[in-house]
Amino acid sequence: MTGAVPSATRRSLLKGGLAAGAVAGFAGCGYVPSKTKPTESPLPKSAKSRVDGDLVYFNWADYLDPGVLKGFQEEYGVKVIESNFDSMEGMYAKINAGNQYDITFPIAKWVAKMRREGKLRAIDKDQLSNAEQVYYSGSYFNDPWYDAKSAVSVPFTVYKTGVGWRTDKIDAMTGSWNDLWNEQGAGHIFTLDDQDEALAMAALLLGYDVNTAKASELDEIKKLLISQKKYLRGYSSDDVNNMSGGDAWIHHMWSGDFLYVREALAKKKTDYDFEAPKEGTPINSDAYAIPANAKHPGTAMLFIDWLLRPENAVKNIQYLYYPFPVKDAVAAFNDLAKDVPDADLDVKDLENPDVFRLLPADQVQARAAVWTEVKAS
Amino acid sequence: MVPTAWMVAFFVSSMLVVVLLSFGHTQADGQPVFGTTPANFAALWDPVYLELFLRSLGYALATVVLSVAVAYPVAYAIALHGGRYKNALIAAIVVPFFASYLIRMYAWKALLSDEGLVNSGLRKTGLSDGIAFLNTPWAVVGGLVYGFVVFMILPVYASLERMDVSLIEAGKDLYHGPLRTFVTVTIPATRAGLYGGMLLVFLPALGDFVSAQLLGGPRTYMIGNLIQQQFAEGQNWPLGSAMTVAMMGALTLLMVVYLRATTTRTREHS
Repeated sequence: MTGAVPSATRRSLLKGGLAAGAVAGFAGCGYVPSKTKPTESPLPKSAKSRVDGDLVYFNWADYLDPGVLKGFQEEYGVKVIESNFDSMEGMYAKINAGNQYDITFPIAKWVAKMRREGKLRAIDKDQLSNAEQVYYSGSYFNDPWYDAKSAVSVPFTVYKTGVGWRTDKIDAMTGSWNDLWNEQGAGHIFTLDDQDEALAMAALLLGYDVNTAKASELDEIKKLLISQKKYLRGYSSDDVNNMSGGDAWIHHMWSGDFLYVREALAKKKTDYDFEAPKEGTPINSDAYAIPANAKHPGTAMLFIDWLLRPENAVKNIQYLYYPFPVKDAVAAFNDLAKDVPDADLDVKDLENPDVFRLLPADQVQARAAVWTEVKAS
Repeated sequence: MVPTAWMVAFFVSSMLVVVLLSFGHTQADGQPVFGTTPANFAALWDPVYLELFLRSLGYALATVVLSVAVAYPVAYAIALHGGRYKNALIAAIVVPFFASYLIRMYAWKALLSDEGLVNSGLRKTGLSDGIAFLNTPWAVVGGLVYGFVVFMILPVYASLERMDVSLIEAGKDLYHGPLRTFVTVTIPATRAGLYGGMLLVFLPALGDFVSAQLLGGPRTYMIGNLIQQQFAEGQNWPLGSAMTVAMMGALTLLMVVYLRATTTRTREHS
């Protein structure tokens, strides 16, 4: 056993060496405080639309008609290599760690964040033959709040948050967020397990900004949400299964998920209805973007152009039940939502104050602390 | 040498990041950075967190007890009566666990929802007009048991396999009844497997967040959910890291006590 002694010393040396190396390595990962503020440096240059390799595609799971992906592979003779994320934080962390994807799908405020940090490549609209479909004259997306002049992103879907309910279980709804406190639905009500959405719902009821981080307002929001707990079955973002499985009679939910439940899953469509509460409804959008370190940005440009083709947008609408702001495809969405006007959406609806904005970390953390207390209490 | 380097490179170094971050803070742009502040640990002295810890502890212990109750008969039946189908039966238990835990949780949701298969069946029999299984503490514990019971079955099965069956026969000669034989001979002989299984089930159950997230109700939030939230929407990795470090400390303490107690006992009995 004595022979082990020198090796133990080597081991501890190695341990020390590796640890030191790891700490040195962290500097590159960015865990070391930096004083340099991100400057408005010029955006990474746009690529030309041409095949420059297979497409490394990074999206939520099942968030695009598989037929559209297949069509792209056939049309351009490339492979689509798919990776998925399950949260915006996860998406960001992977790109931040240096993983290379050709196209990703950030929600609006994440576009703002990634653009500011120089993580997204410019998208030259002259390279897109279908650009006119989203950037027609007067289009909201010519200069959206999250991406000046839409320089690094192209709009993907638009979604609205409201209340879905079962007409065969609940007699009276009032068109207000108060319906999430409905006595008749007690024990069958769900609030979205989503910090922004839950706080926004309470903020709208109290007449506050959906992005509020004021201590006094957050305190009221907290009390209001805790008062809801006795009516709740749970906090869940799986609104589709909760509704279609019958566990939810009233659900704080996303408009597209509601339409999917009603039009595709329900045994009897008229048992399901949706309202956009009168106090205001959060309406948000997500986008496609090309990370600055993408290996095949040319193929990604072709892919964006492919998705902007109206016939592909229609396929995606009919698969996802969310509207795509592609001019010649919007009618297909209006048709899907024709029986439930409150779930219908117009691009114009984005011009409302209730969008989720990019907040500084201390404000996000103040909001998170409230949300934690609500869920933990 | 190589395994040590491997451990250091991939395990210790990532642990080190967590420890260093637990003393750090978050920059205004959301980037977590290292530091030397004890503020995150100070923030843990909140009665809400203690309550969550106790709740998680309760769920994890219930999971262990139920897992023993489920796993022991299964392992026993396969080990002692499985005959030439033993391996196939073990495979039948292990294979479903190759499917993602998340997917299996969703499957339970589909089965147990108010208008799902089980409840429709119940209604057809006329015995009940449906049971709200989901979004209850029971559902969360059930999810945990289903998720981790295999970690109990395998070690118990292994120790039953190794056991000399003639011990049981000898036990029957000495103590007569099968129950007394089971309690005084079989259980002590498989103690090591049981203790190991308990630990393997307890640890992941205590830190789990998936079951509570998918099957839980308004009051089933666990410590794992709390930590997960800090790393996701909460944008507070330093606080989440401090929680993780504190939790690891508490568990290490528990484990040392547990291992000491169980190893002496196992040694005494073998």
